[in-house]
Amino acid sequence: MIQTFYYLERDFRRWVRGKINVVSALVMPAAWLIFVGLALPIRFTDNYLDFITPGILVLTMLGASLQGGALLMFDKVLGFLPKFLAMPAPRETILFGKILFITLRGLIQSTVILIFAVVLGAHFLDPLLLIQTYLILMIFGVLLSSVMTTVALSLEDHDSYSAFNAMISMPLFFTSSALMPYDQMPGWLATIARLNPVSYAIDGVREVQVGIFPVNTFLGLIVGTIIVLAISISVFRKATV
Amino acid sequence: MSAIEITGLTKTFGTLTAVDRMDLSIDREIFGLLGPNGSGKTTTVKMLTTILSPTSGDASVCGHSITRDPRKVRDRISYVPQDMAVDAKLTGRENVIFFAKLYGVKRPRDIADEVLSKMELGDRADDLARTYSGGMRRRLELAQALVHDPEVLFLDEPTIGLDVAGRKKIWEHIIDLKDNGMTVFVTTHYMDEADYACDRVGIIDHGVVVANASPEALKANCCSDIISIRADGQYQDTVIEGVKFIGQNGDELKFEAPSGGETGFALARALSDSGMKIKSFAIRQPTLDDVFLSLVAEQEDTGEFDYRRFRTMLRRRG
Repeated sequence: MIQTFYYLERDFRRWVRGKINVVSALVMPAAWLIFVGLALPIRFTDNYLDFITPGILVLTMLGASLQGGALLMFDKVLGFLPKFLAMPAPRETILFGKILFITLRGLIQSTVILIFAVVLGAHFLDPLLLIQTYLILMIFGVLLSSVMTTVALSLEDHDSYSAFNAMISMPLFFTSSALMPYDQMPGWLATIARLNPVSYAIDGVREVQVGIFPVNTFLGLIVGTIIVLAISISVFRKATV
Repeated sequence: MSAIEITGLTKTFGTLTAVDRMDLSIDREIFGLLGPNGSGKTTTVKMLTTILSPTSGDASVCGHSITRDPRKVRDRISYVPQDMAVDAKLTGRENVIFFAKLYGVKRPRDIADEVLSKMELGDRADDLARTYSGGMRRRLELAQALVHDPEVLFLDEPTIGLDVAGRKKIWEHIIDLKDNGMTVFVTTHYMDEADYACDRVGIIDHGVVVANASPEALKANCCSDIISIRADGQYQDTVIEGVKFIGQNGDELKFEAPSGGETGFALARALSDSGMKIKSFAIRQPTLDDVFLSLVAEQEDTGEFDYRRFRTMLRRRG
């Protein structure tokens, strides 16, 4: 399983060498926080920044994972995947390496957001809060990136992947509890939002903020991740290109 | 036990039979699989490299079954697909070290040095692969493939899109590997290259291997040499043994003979003895192209146009 880290190392080197990738990954979260967190003339809560930060953190992980599946799609269409599949390294390590890279990259972006948020006045410096937040974000990242890498493996080309991505990202984003609390939403939206896995992670972080340990969120995310990972692994073991 | 032993290997996609009951045995040689687009070459290679499972039949590679023991097969082979996939943002050395680590090679750095200099990339090893020419990229891929000292090397269209010098160099390296005991299974479209480099070629058409022999044997069995002689004077039905008169066109006489080089001169002498004045003399030996065209039903390329591949070829030419 050590090969997982070699695949991770490869993706990391490639990412760091594309300077625009890194700049974009760091500027985008900042833009989110400033434009959405500070500019929207909404006051649902006493401190909207405290309210919106968990939402943006989770949405960053969402964005990173949705984008991340494309990495595997490129490996596939450019001919890297056939080479990797013909190697003795366990095929699952290709999957694990990608999931790990996508999640780590998302966590790096989240860290930038956290720093910005704290500078702008959000209350996020409690160590226990930070640890639990990172845990939720990590599990959420693993869950979504395994979904997306499996999708990338199953779809034919990059266009189909983009189409799939566009189809699910908007609804997931706007029907989550990221931007407003449930009691401010229309009834139908609140119902959808409660079913949305993205809200699940966001609500988890919000519970941590007010000092509650979100047992249900952790359990739900972990069970979900195990199921999705099991499916991904079985798809990968049988993978052909 | 041959390095590659294929028995009844078949792959169907829906109603299409891509590879039809293939039987081949290949050992310590360069074996070239030739065929038109969509004839089943790449499907065969993908099955032998265990990234596609056969519908029926089996093959053993280095003594291990591709269906029952694919992991052990992957341990002993390397596969270089036609796409030319190297990480442009990594240096040549990083590209190779990455593969050496994945294969679990001991001392990956030393091995990388070794294969890079073997592929004549030593002095460019620390440049980004982005700056490499097509030929260098292909040699970098060969270097990657050699890190674990495989017994069998699978190459899919290794010279596609390369310039003449680049192609020649790739083949020299492949021949060198074979001379050191490696079995090389290669697919190609280029008949002249197969003729030059392959010890044996198989011609595949609609998934069926229609010929399997050395290029020399195939050419000899396919068609005789054509001797064409331009001469003044009346042709007197002069023939020598083993030569067949085919026809006359103006002052050009055409003959057919199994080995035109030797009989041609005797024939020319016989003609001048009969009173004709020889002006010119030419022998055309059959090429692998002739063999190919005689065996593979002439057909229009009706395969789906692969835009992606077309685009990559254009890019490489630029």
